[in-house]
Formats: sequence, structure tokens, C-alpha cells
Amino acid sequence: MYSILKTTIQSLKMNNRYKNISIRQLMIMIFMLCSMQVITATAQQKIRINGKVTDQTGQGIPGATIFSGSPLKSLTATNSSGDFAVLAEPGTELVIRSIGFLEQRIMVKAGQTTIAVRLKDNTKEMDEVVVRGYVARSKQLSTGSSTTISGDKVQDVPVSNIEQLLQGKVPGLNIQVNTGAPGFRGTTTIRGISSLAVTGGGSESFLQPTSPLYVIDGVPLDADQASQFGLQQQGPGVSPVSMIPQEDIASIEILKDAQATSMYGSRAAYGVIIITTKRGNSVIPRIRYTLNSFMQRPPKLRETLGGNLERQLKIRQAIENAVTQGDIDLINATPFLADSLNAYYNNSTNWQDVFYATTFNQTHNLSIDGGDQKFSYKTNLNYYSENGVIKNTGFDRYSMNMRMDYKPNDKFTFVGSVFGGVGKTNKGEGMGLLQSGVANNGMASSLLPGPSFFQSTAGVVAALQTRNDNNARNLRTNIEASYVIIPGLMASTNVSYNFDSNTEDTFTPAAANGQFAKVYAFNGRSDRLYNRSAVNYSKTFGENHNLFINAFNEIYVESRQNSITRQERTPNDQFQGPVGYDGYFSRGGGVLTDYRNFRSASFAGSASYDYMKKYVVDLSYRLDGTSGSGIENPYSKNPAIGLRWNFQKEGFMSKLSWLDMGALRLSWGMNISPNSSLVDIYGRYNINGSYNGLQGIGIDYNLIPNPNLKPTTTMQYNFGFDAVLFKNTVEIAYDTYYKSVENMIIDRGLSNISGFSVLKSNDASIVNYGHELSLTVRPIQQGPLTLSFSVNGAINNDVLTKLPDEYNGQLIRFDPRQDYLQHIIYRVGTNTLSNYLKINQGVYSTNGNVPVDPVTGLPYQTGGRFFEGGDPIFRDMNGDYILDERDYMISGNSQPVFTGGLSTNIGYKQFRLDIYASFTAKRTILNNALADRLLLLKDPFGDRAVVPVGNLDMWTKPGDIAVYPYAYDYRRFEAIQPFRLDQSLWEENGSYLKINTVTLSYMFNKKAARRVGLQSIRIYLSAENLNTFTAYTGPNPENVTNMGRDASGGYPVPRKYNIGLNVEF
Amino acid sequence: MQPKNKISLFLLAFSLLCCMGCKKFLNVLPKDQLTGNNYFKSKDDVESNITSLYSRFFEKINQTQVMGAIGEYRSGEVMATPTHFGYNDGKMIDALGRNDLNLAITGPGVNRFHLRDITSWTTYYQVIQGANILISKLEEGVPGVSNTEKEAYIGEATFIRCFTYFWMVRIYGNVAYYTNPYQADPLPREDMVAVLNKCIADMKSRMNSMPWTNSDPSKRGARASKGAAVALIMHMNMWNAGFDATKRDAYYEETAALGGELVSSNSYTLLPLRDWEQVVKGRSAESIFEFYRSINYGDQVNIDAPISALFLRWPYKNPRFDNQVSLFYYTSEYMYKIFPDGVEDGRKNPLENDGWFGDQYGGGVYSGAEKFVMTKFAHNIPASENTNVNPDNTFMIFRYADILLLRAEALAALNMNGEAINMLAKVRTRANASPYSGSTGQELKDFIFLERSRELIGEGQHYFDLVRTGRIMSAQWARHPLNRDQFNRGAWTWPIDHAATNNNPFMTLNEYWESSGI
Repeated sequence: MYSILKTTIQSLKMNNRYKNISIRQLMIMIFMLCSMQVITATAQQKIRINGKVTDQTGQGIPGATIFSGSPLKSLTATNSSGDFAVLAEPGTELVIRSIGFLEQRIMVKAGQTTIAVRLKDNTKEMDEVVVRGYVARSKQLSTGSSTTISGDKVQDVPVSNIEQLLQGKVPGLNIQVNTGAPGFRGTTTIRGISSLAVTGGGSESFLQPTSPLYVIDGVPLDADQASQFGLQQQGPGVSPVSMIPQEDIASIEILKDAQATSMYGSRAAYGVIIITTKRGNSVIPRIRYTLNSFMQRPPKLRETLGGNLERQLKIRQAIENAVTQGDIDLINATPFLADSLNAYYNNSTNWQDVFYATTFNQTHNLSIDGGDQKFSYKTNLNYYSENGVIKNTGFDRYSMNMRMDYKPNDKFTFVGSVFGGVGKTNKGEGMGLLQSGVANNGMASSLLPGPSFFQSTAGVVAALQTRNDNNARNLRTNIEASYVIIPGLMASTNVSYNFDSNTEDTFTPAAANGQFAKVYAFNGRSDRLYNRSAVNYSKTFGENHNLFINAFNEIYVESRQNSITRQERTPNDQFQGPVGYDGYFSRGGGVLTDYRNFRSASFAGSASYDYMKKYVVDLSYRLDGTSGSGIENPYSKNPAIGLRWNFQKEGFMSKLSWLDMGALRLSWGMNISPNSSLVDIYGRYNINGSYNGLQGIGIDYNLIPNPNLKPTTTMQYNFGFDAVLFKNTVEIAYDTYYKSVENMIIDRGLSNISGFSVLKSNDASIVNYGHELSLTVRPIQQGPLTLSFSVNGAINNDVLTKLPDEYNGQLIRFDPRQDYLQHIIYRVGTNTLSNYLKINQGVYSTNGNVPVDPVTGLPYQTGGRFFEGGDPIFRDMNGDYILDERDYMISGNSQPVFTGGLSTNIGYKQFRLDIYASFTAKRTILNNALADRLLLLKDPFGDRAVVPVGNLDMWTKPGDIAVYPYAYDYRRFEAIQPFRLDQSLWEENGSYLKINTVTLSYMFNKKAARRVGLQSIRIYLSAENLNTFTAYTGPNPENVTNMGRDASGGYPVPRKYNIGLNVEF
Repeated sequence: MQPKNKISLFLLAFSLLCCMGCKKFLNVLPKDQLTGNNYFKSKDDVESNITSLYSRFFEKINQTQVMGAIGEYRSGEVMATPTHFGYNDGKMIDALGRNDLNLAITGPGVNRFHLRDITSWTTYYQVIQGANILISKLEEGVPGVSNTEKEAYIGEATFIRCFTYFWMVRIYGNVAYYTNPYQADPLPREDMVAVLNKCIADMKSRMNSMPWTNSDPSKRGARASKGAAVALIMHMNMWNAGFDATKRDAYYEETAALGGELVSSNSYTLLPLRDWEQVVKGRSAESIFEFYRSINYGDQVNIDAPISALFLRWPYKNPRFDNQVSLFYYTSEYMYKIFPDGVEDGRKNPLENDGWFGDQYGGGVYSGAEKFVMTKFAHNIPASENTNVNPDNTFMIFRYADILLLRAEALAALNMNGEAINMLAKVRTRANASPYSGSTGQELKDFIFLERSRELIGEGQHYFDLVRTGRIMSAQWARHPLNRDQFNRGAWTWPIDHAATNNNPFMTLNEYWESSGI
């Protein structure tokens, strides 16, 4: 009796009807139910009821589960056409659930034998689910800023790393696919930069990546492999993100503001990306197979002049710009130019063809899933193979993901999953992102003979014959259990273990290494044990007050150890190992310094309260303690608060029928995170020196311990506005934010009276602020034709707000590469990362245009030579009529200000067309690729290729007003350096609009599919990186480093054409 | 089970889980490195840290011919032997002797002697930082170190700090002074008299925690003791007495008083001349403070670092072909001045007669160029199989004879002549020299000065004695005297490496040398 009453009240509540029922009515109903119970108790007979569960279009839903009773017990599930049959007493309430649909409850009436259930799609924006602190919450109640991308938007174009398919789909998520290297990641930043640390120099300058935290099926992962950029030449550098097959992804959620990320702690300071993989959802086992066959084509390569054209140009250049007879005689002394009948010098070799090629690749994905609400399983097998457009490079992935969900009753849930993957990368002789060897060899003179059976240059052998084998093996297991203690109170625990084994073997053949073969081997492992125990509680007080409390703790135990072996010479190409025979040619190795033994423990709690789902308040707090930050103050603190007002629920708004949903959000959050290591705080003690028979151990005088290091504090305000209008036709989401990163670590040089060299201080701050808008319009939603457009964009401005006092607001990071000198300047009050270059103001039209120093009567000069007509005009910053290292000036911004994307989705009957595009604007790129091209012209006697310059606005004769200085004056080239890299001539606008992907698909109708014994068939054609619209004169404005340097040694981003097939059994 | 009980059980379990000794869990001792939080955990750690401080200081002395260049040669009494094969490098001694440091640093011998290293004080400040950090760690408390041991270690670290300041003052004049650990902020240079006064106060407050001398013979002299602290304070007082004329008597009084204490402690004795090899070997009863080096410990000594090595020839230096003569010699004119002919003095004898100059192959005290050999340091020669090695001598800093003469000097300045002569007599008796027979007053003072020159020849004290007594300005005492103006502008100092001005807006360099174009 009691249980029936409870069920009734519960069901009433669940049906949301209680709002309209007064207490009195409720009492009456209870009374009536009680009397009904009395009646039915006397007539205890079960009736067979046949039913059909369909979706809104009338299609049967297979695998929907039918429950009844309290607690709910599953009775049966629908068959493949959606039919079911149950035995039930009249008055029983049936609960029908199926994933992707709203739950429905139906009361069996007396005498009823058939039931038709039509389930509503669970797709409306207000019913969307978001994940906060590992718990799914209704998006309607979320106060933070996030965007969810469903898994089907990242299919149909095979990629080694799904990140690149997110490009342009999420406002504020700036993804630059800046390398085409197979298996490598581009750069991903959420809401601007958070780092000042730049490594490398020249074209190989990189900003330290600050990637978001990835949470894959509830398990956090670091996307940045320590050696991911491959610059340190350590390890295979396969990012864990590259190991996830795209076919297995159910949804991706990007958390942007501090309220959304606060529960993820200090690792989430750069945002969070949550990836959820698919789970079993079909009573009848379902087998789905996806095949992609794709072709990759190198982009347009550098134009060169071949064969005789090259020789003629060089000879003409030598003659026309000669100063003495000796210069002309030099032609005869250069057999390469003069001896045109010699077969060795009489070729027209396309060197770029030697290294670049079109490749054909395949991926296969097989997924099997099945089960019902009680027990479901899923297995996903994936094979991905990609040969790079640079020969001897590629990426292969083999992965398996298994998952099992078991829910014996309403109280317990168990989830177990295993992920295993092998990623094999071949970097050739390059370092992943950079293939400078290929770039350099690709610039060889076309007059030289190409590689053949009999001969080949060391560079060619190095690029094509270097055996490079990188293996990243990843095993991830995860077990999750949860228990509902009392209704509303649930406890859960999650244990996961992640193991990575990385190896790299590089064998350089003798012909590529001065007649001695070379061996490099890397061997590393890392593992992580992760545990999370959580408890959450939800309760409704009175009628309108809802409270939700979530608390959990997290523990990480991590370790890593890497070691290398380097052998400079082995006896011959046949002897590749073992190589431990002689220490003489060993070039060190052993255990690397990135050894890691790390632990962290975190506690997080959040409370969410809403009044009638109209006013929402979120409060959260998280503490992170790590073993790396010392015993005194190991905790980072993350408080956050969020408010939301669903204004369409207000009475005065209810008249507005065109307003489906409207909400305002406001959030504030902080991430206070220790940024120091034990060494930073306490100093390092090294064994050094001995005295009086004792061994000394003294402090390391490089870095002064700084016990007063303050934690880096990231504070973010976010204001958001969401609206859905005109029956889901228009969807708007707008966010504006202000994010300040204070107390960033910066090294300060010390006075030598302190004895130490460097102080790690936290006297640097930056501020990012900006706006994000996304707008989706679905003009036609019903009928054979569907249409939707969406556009999103984000403006992010970063400003450097503080530097240590002694820098007087300006710090120049001098380029360590003497051949580039492209310095970086940090100046307070401007954008954080600017270039520091000589300012090019055009080309001197004639000799008379060169300014003359009125004091000395000498013209403007550099390197001991006076400028002449055809030379570049450099701004003389200090007015001394001499161009030197004192004439630099701040210029440009290497980080994009404006990013976003566009998409169009058109469906007509069985056809569907999806087009995605993305854009980046207001960014300065240094076109070093063009500079390298023009620098090829500096020496007509050299063995480098020559490039056509006809399409450039170049000075050729006195009186010309041109952009580019005269390239052929080889006699004065070294002194004047018209194409020096440290000038603003190479600064170009890096704005572009890129057609990312176009997919045309056809879904065979069910009948046709069944005829061949399949559930469904879908075929599609897709293309990636189709075209880039830009004013930039270099090869690709996106294919540049994250410091905006277009390195000609970079890996080009290929074009991809794909034919795909989806089959379901 | 009732829901309420379930909740409470659950909360109990959860709170247990949360409180499972988080700090213990998070304290990971790094296996790959020693950081400040897992160091200073035992007495051994303190010992090895203090060892690293001594060794770092010695590193500076060991860079090149430091002690000779700063303390011995700058008044011109030492010259290079033209027939020595290393004469071209050795000519730097002439530039040093003329106080032409520009030339000494950049000119002849720049590759062998690289005297520019002396102008950099970074290593000294590293020692000071290290001592400051050690003191702060000891004051926080180190497990396994008793209170007495703690005080003694603090005394020793304070000695290292004060001694380093004293050493720097004698080289650079004014220096930046601090005692805070982890000093990162830039500081200006401070008047050297004030610096030394702070050091005197600092040392006096800490010296009583140490024993007069180390009871452990393996540490005697090699590690600081109260004796070393007293010697240091006496030296600092005597330095200040030369530059702070108004309080001169107070400095003398303190020197005399502390010297008296040291003498009456009977902790140190003068060894007879026949046992002189023990004194130069080190850790002897005469040693108050020294940088002890021994091949038995595998200590590496720069071939050009000890003063002694440059005044020796075969059979004390090998190979014989290269070392027929010693590279440097004291001019016979100077030797006649300090060791007057006819005055009996055991130190004038050759090695065979327990003296300090010459041996069976010649080279007596007045022999000058070509012949001169200072057999004072010719003991403790390791078997070298015809390779060039140094005698296995200690780097003597303070020894008992030095302190006796310093006290005598202070007493004479205070007109306490009897006691002064008493002190003098101890040194002269050991040297088998005739007792002082002259009058009191200036003659006594001069004699004490000369006695210091005799006794401490080749030990890097002579030039500092000239400077602090002002005798450097008199041609009677210095072969290349400075004039008053040069002296006041700091001609007696060394130039300071320009790196000192980096990141330090308060830093000033030595003006005398800046104007001379270093």
C-alpha cells in the first residue's frame, strides 16, 4: 500500500503535472488511488499487452526498454521493429526508456491490450546535457560557458587527430592545423595565450603550448606529450588525442569559462575538452563498419626554373651585375654553368618531386554493440593508415576500445572499459613538425642529376632511407561503480590505470652520415593511476527549490622514465644493433632528466541551487595538492560562482510565443595554482667539490630558491546570453569574458653580488578579453529538404600588463639564431608577443633617393656599403645614417585576434551536403618561406635552384617604384642584405578563410538496404583542406608555427579526397 | 538499514577516505635530485654543505696565482728570471710590480695566468650566500644536530662569511654586505670599514661557541675554530686601524686583547725550524687557519696556484730540463733589506740547515736572479716521475707567528713596548735569530713590520701589510710606491669585473681603474 502510494506520487512528480495540482486535489487523488488499490487487489489478474514504440516519424525503435514497479524493474525490450509484449495488471505504470529519447510513462488502463508509445527526441537545446565535474547536468541549469559538438560532426573525413575537425566549430577554441605531419597535433588554445615562454629561434620559434585538459570518458589525460613538438628529439611524440578513433566518438564538449572548468582544478587552467565515446545501445547486436579510402595530395610547391632556364638566368645574372672582368671570368671557372655539354651538369631535375608524393590510404573501423538498459557492451576496432606527402613519413594506428555497462538494478551501476592502441609514426629524418633536411635538399639546383641507382646525394639518402620507427603503445583501463544509497544520494568511484610505452628507433645509413651508419634509440614508459570517488545528492524542497550537491576527490599517482642510446658509428649498414660493443663512438644517453614521480590529491565540491529552474546559483570550490609544489603550501584553489536567469520562464515573457528559450549567465572563477617545483622553492643541492677529505654538497647557484613564489592566478569573468527563437529556427549564444593571468613565472637575471644567476619571479601578467558569438539558423526543418546555416566567431585580445620592474616595461628576447635575428619583444600595454624588426619602407627608386648625412656628406649605409637604387629603404630609427642593430622597432602581433567558422548543412531526401569552413584574421605572419626563396638568388655560382620572381613587384631598373628590392646584385648582396630576415618586409597579414571539409553523402533507403541483408548503407564523398582564400603570398597562412613564422622547412598540410562507406548489419 | 544510518555510514567512509594523511601522500622525495626539502636532514648534510663552502672558496684561490697576485707581488720586490723557459708568461709579474693591472690582466701571460679571473667576485658571493643559507637552516634546526653542535656550526659558517668579506675588502675595497639568506635584491657597495666593523661584531657574537682549536687533529687549522675567528677579528681590526684613523686605538686595543687571549689559551705553539715541513704541510700546531690540500685526498691543485711553486726549481720541480732556475725570485736588494747581512737568523740558512733559502745546489738568501730558490716551501715533494707537480703544501692563511707579530704591532702602536718585544721574541727565538736590541717607538714598529716581511715571506701577506700601514706610499718600504692621491683613489685595489653592474643599478666600480681604461 505504502509503495503504491509512493510510486503514484513519484510518477505524478515525474510527469511534471504536480505543478497544476493543489494539495487538496492531491489528497483526493491519493484517496482515489487508495480505493483503486483496494479494487485491483481483489482482481489480481495480469493481462497481456502488445505495444509498439515509435519515434516521432513513426519508425519503430528497437531496443527500447520497458520498466515497471518500484524500484523499477525492466520487463522486456522492443524487438527490431519496435514491438513488445508484456504481462501487466491494469493500473500499472509502464516506463519506456530508450537512449536519445525522452522517458515516457504510461498507465495501463483496465481492459487495455494494446499500447502505442511515441517517444520524443531528446535533442532540444534546453534538454541537452552538459558535464560538470564529471556529472551530467541539464544544460538549462548550467551557468558556465561551454559548447557541445555531437560525434556525427567529426565523422566522414578521416583524420589522425580529431582536433583538426573541431576547427571553426566552437567560438573561442582556436585551432590552427599548422602541420601536415601525420599523427601530429596542431595548436589548440582556448581564449587566448597563457604563456610567455618561447623556445627555439628563427623559423623554429615555438610558444610553449598550453593545451586544454582532455577528459576522455571521465578520465583526464594530458594532450601535450613532453616531447610532442619533437624539437627535443626525444620519443615518438604521439599525442594521446591522436590515439582516439573518430568513429568511436559520441560527443565532444568544450568548457571555456572558469565556472565550467573550476571542478577540474589546476590542470584545467587552459580549458577542458570532454570526449565521450559511444556505448552499447541496441538489444539486437549491431555491427557497424566504416571504410574510408583517401588520397592525399601535396599542396602547390615552390615554383622553380628548370634546366636551361636556370643556367641562362644564372649566367645573365652573373654578367649583368658583374663589377670586374674577374666576375665574368668566374663563369668559365664554374663548370656547372659553363660546361653545358657535360651530362652531369645537363639535367632538369625536379628535386621537390623526389621528396613529395601523392599517397593513397585507407582506414577501417568496425564497431559491435548491443545490450539493453540492464547490460550493454561495445567494442570498437580501428585501423588508420596515413602515408605522409613527404616520402618516408607516415602514421599508423591500431586501436581497440571495449566497454561494458551493467546495471543489475536501480541502485548499482558498473562500467568497465579497456582501451588499447598502438600508434606508429615515421618522422623520416626530420623531427616531426620540421623537415628541414627535405626542405634544404628540395632547393638543390635542377642542373644536377637526380638520384639514381648509381648515385645519390647524402641529403637524398638521409631523407628517403633513414629508417625511423616510432611506437607509442597505450593501454587504458577504467572501472566505475556507483550506488544509490537513498533516492537522490549517489556514491561512485572510478579507478583507471593508464600505461604508455614509447620507443623510437632511428637508423641512418652510412651513405647519409659520412660513410658511417648511425643509431639512435629511445625507450620510455609512463604510467598513471587515477582514482576518483564522488558523492552527489539532489533534493527538491517544497515545490520549487531544487538543490544539487556534488563532491569528489581525485588522486593521481604518476611516473615516467625515459632513456636513450646514441651510437655515432656502427661498422656497416647491416649492423643495426645491438650497439653496445664499444664506448668510443657512443654519444651518451642513459636515463633522461625528465624522470617523474608525481602525486596529487584533490578535493572538489559544488552546490547548485535553482528556484523553479528559473534562477540558478552555482558555487564550487576545488583544492589541488601536488607533490611537486612543496609541503608548506601544496594546494591550488579554485573557487567559482555562477548565476543564471532563464528569463523565458518569467510570467511576462510567456506571452512571447516566438521565444523558446532565453537565458542570461554570469560567472566568476579563479584558478590559483602553484607554479613552482621543489627546486624553485628550496633549491637544488649538487655534489660538488671536496675539502679536507670530505665530499661537499652545495646549493646549485644557477637558480636562487624563492620561497616567496606566488601561485599563478587566473581569474575569469564571463557574461553569456543564450536564446532559441521561432520554434528552434534561430539559436544564438553570446559570451564575453575577461581573463587575467597574474603572477606568471618569468626568469629575472640577478646581480652577481647575490651569487646566483637567475631568480624565478612571478612579475608577469597578461590579460585576455574578448567576445564569442555563435548563430545557427535552421530555416527548413521539416520535409524532404532541410537546411541549416551556422556561423561563429571569436575576438580575443591579449595585453601584457606587467613585467619585472627592472625591465622598465619592455623585455626583448633576442633571437638565438644569428641567421634570422627575428627578435620578440614583450612590451607592457601592447599585445603580448610582438616582433622586433627593422622597418622596411619600400625600395629606393634611384640612387638620388638615398638620404645623405648632412654632417658627414655620406649616404645612408650598412655593412660598410652605401645604399643605392634598388636597395630596400630601412627606417633609420636612431638617425645616425647607419643601419645596424640599433634600428629595430616593435611591430606586428603573432597571435590571431579573430577566429571562427561557418557551416552549411543541406539535406534533401537521402542526400546530404555538409560544408565547414573556418577563418582567422588579424594576424601577422613572417613570410620566411618567401625570404628563403629570394635568398636562393644571392649567388649565381652556387648549386641552389633559382625561382621565378616574375609575379613579385620587384625593382629592376632605376625609376621603378617597387615592394621587393633588387635580387640579382650578387656583388653587394652580403653587405646590403636586401632580403635580411629581420625586416618588416616579411610581415604579412595572415588572415584566411579555409574550406575545411565538404561532405556529400547518400543514405540508401531501408528497403534497398534490407534487400542486400543490411540494416543501412551510406556512402559519401568528402574532401578536406579544399581551398584557402587569403591575400598572403606564402604557401599557406595556417601552415606556420604558433609564433607566426612560416618555416619553409615545415611539413605542408596536404589536401585530402575521400570515398567512404558506412554499413550497419 | 535505515536511510539515516546509511547516510552516516557513508559520510564516515567518505571522510575517512579524504583524511587519509594527505600530506604524507603528497610528500614524494625526488629520487633524481636533492632539493632543499630533503637536504639538511642530518649532521652529515651539514658537514657536506660546510665542506662545499670551503671547497668553493678554495676554487677561487685555485683559479690562478691568486694569493701571490693580490698579496705578494704588487710592490715590485719579485721579478721573473729571464732564462726560465716560461719567462714570457712570467713577465706579468713586472706589470703587477708596477701596479699596472691593465697590462697584468691583458698583457704577457694572459693565457697562462688569466688574472682577469681575480676581478670577478661572483664566487665569493656564492660562498657568502651559501654560508647565509646554512646559518638560516641551522637556526631553523637540523635533525640530529645537538644545540652545542648547532652553535659551533653557526660559528664556523659565520667565520666563512666574515672571512670572505675580509678577503674581498682586501682585494676590492668597498663591497656590498648582507647576511640574509637568498638575497636577491641588488645592493650598493658599502664603506669597507663599516663592513669590517659589522663582520667583527658578527664574528664576536658567534666565536665563543667554537673551541680554541679543533681537538680532532684531522681538522686542526683546516676547519675554523675560535682561534681562527680571533685571528680574523685581529686582522680586520688592524685593517680598519689603517683606514679609520679616528678610532685607531680602539682597534689596536681589541687586537692586543684578543691576541692576548689567544696566546694565553696555549692552544697554539711555534714549531722549531727543523719541523718546518709540518707547518707547510698543514694541520700543524702552529696553524690557525688554512686551506688544507693533500694528494692523499686526491685534491687537485692548479699548477700555478700556490705561491711556493713559482720560487722553486729542480730538484723540487720537474722536469729538470725545464726547471734549472726558479721562475720568480726576490731581488737581492730586498732580501738584504729584510734579512740584513750580519744579523744572525736561522731562516737565512739553506734547506740542509733547516733554513728557508737555497740548498746544496746553491741559491742562498741573497742570490737573486738565476740562482734564487725559496726552499721554505721545498718540503713535502711528492714523487712525480719527471712530471711537473707542486709540493704538497697547504694554503696557509693565518698561523700563530703571524698572529704573534700582529699583536706585537698593535701593542707597539699602543706603546706597550715590553709586551710587544715579548711577542717579537717568540718568533725570533723560533727562527734562531738574535733578539731585538733596538729602541722603542718607530724603530720597533718598523722592525715588527720587517719581521712580518721576513717571517711571512711568500705567504701572501706582504702587500696587505704595506697597504694597511700606509707604507705602500713610501719608497723606503715599497719598490714601486703609490702616491697619496693614487692611494686615496683606490690604486691599491683590484678592478671589478663589469658584470657587477648587470642587473644592479646601485653598483659602482673602482674609479681608479675605470679611469685607467680597464
